[in-house]
Amino acid sequence: MRAPLLFGASIVIAFAAWQFLSSFVFNPFLIPPPLVVFETAVPMVKSGEIFQHVAISLARVGVGFVTGSAAGIVLGVLLGRIRLVNDLLDPVIELLRYLSPTAMIPIAVIWFGIGETSKYFLIFWGTFFIVLINTTAGVMRAPIIRQRAAECLGANQLQIFLLVVIPSAAPYIVTGMRIAMASSFMSIIPAEILAADSGIGYLLQISSILLQTNRIFVALLTICVIGFIFDRLFRMAVDRMLSRYMSYIALT
Amino acid sequence: MLAVRNVSKAFGADANRYSALEGIDLEVSEGEFVCLLGPSGCGKSTLLNILAGFEQASGGTVEFEGAPVRGAGRDRVMFFQDAGSALLPWLSAEENLRFALRVRKLPRESWPAIIDKYLTMVNLKDHRHKFPAQLSGGMRQRLQIARALAVEPKVLLMDEPFGALDALTRRRMHGFLLDIWRRTGKTIVFVTHDIAEAVTLADRICVMSVGPGSRITEVISVGLPRPRDPGDPGAARIFKHVESLLTFMEAA
Repeated sequence: MRAPLLFGASIVIAFAAWQFLSSFVFNPFLIPPPLVVFETAVPMVKSGEIFQHVAISLARVGVGFVTGSAAGIVLGVLLGRIRLVNDLLDPVIELLRYLSPTAMIPIAVIWFGIGETSKYFLIFWGTFFIVLINTTAGVMRAPIIRQRAAECLGANQLQIFLLVVIPSAAPYIVTGMRIAMASSFMSIIPAEILAADSGIGYLLQISSILLQTNRIFVALLTICVIGFIFDRLFRMAVDRMLSRYMSYIALT
Repeated sequence: MLAVRNVSKAFGADANRYSALEGIDLEVSEGEFVCLLGPSGCGKSTLLNILAGFEQASGGTVEFEGAPVRGAGRDRVMFFQDAGSALLPWLSAEENLRFALRVRKLPRESWPAIIDKYLTMVNLKDHRHKFPAQLSGGMRQRLQIARALAVEPKVLLMDEPFGALDALTRRRMHGFLLDIWRRTGKTIVFVTHDIAEAVTLADRICVMSVGPGSRITEVISVGLPRPRDPGDPGAARIFKHVESLLTFMEAA
């Protein structure tokens, strides 16, 4: 009971401080007070404009995140398990992972245009490396004792892999996906600012050109709320489906 | 049953070559309880890993029932000190046994009876739905024993299994292990650095020297009736003798 109360209090205090500062300290045009921002938001919500942008951005994050995670898990497992694959690919991955999705925007636009594909690619790019590196770490750190124990009970290599190594790596994989999801929500914005005609990032960009600071703040708040909600949803889904693989870490 | 002849084990190559074991000879007969005793770093765990088939000897032969040991097998089940790692923490006590029966490829209909039998033997029947992290250290070791017995091995290889338990629980586990040993007639090779533990449990104690190039320096037949108390005159005499061997070794 205490935690939700404090959470609410924290939000209320922040909004009060924001209202005070923008009304009395700073220029209210540059930092529109929350009440003005809400006034701006109401018609955007009523007309459905904001939901359209949110839906488009979410679809892009969804496609890129799911494909990027799938590819990252598959390759990550191979890298963690097969020495030769690791030796061959690890140096390349170590170099490529410094190319953030933002750095890849210019070339993505040339390769894929400003349509959906370039956004899918950019989110895929960001997700893939994070999930890959975490999956590899998880597979490599599956306790050798646990694998040996299974081996002398009679498990074959495939059983050790599927029933011991992968479940042992699950917490790492899930953590990687959670970080990748946060990063996806961050990298979709620059992608849409620079190369899109829809989405939250586009809303930010066009409002900036038109000097509509209150609309910019609506978009920024929307990003906060969406990111927060999806992280919670992800955690709830993990708790539902994978809790037995996650919880033991805290207990042992 | 187990025959080790002139076994040596070295790690690394050339200048970094470290000889862990040299000229190890050991015969273990069926139903015997043998302790490998020595200070830390004397290679006793390495020898146990070679018996289990996890590691290969650099020289010499290891035979089990007349055939050379090639890899791990469920006729020689290893039992680890870190039960939290050795067990599958995402499976309940019962499911951990089920895992063993699954890799042993027994027909499903026979599982419930076997699971009942071994959980009863280790007094964990009332805790069958608990996860390893919800069990005490001693209970986890009992679960590991039940899981090992469920694949009906001929030999139990135990690597300082009770080293992490408090003195009282350890004493109880000794009685418990001896009881299981009497009832099942398994052959046991038990690694420890605790002289009192070896004197309490073993038919024979193999004292090992400090590395590099550890050997079995002396084999002592205990020949006292069980249950033994380390304070009894017979046990105390053997304790003193082994202690002087180890002290002399350290001084040398």
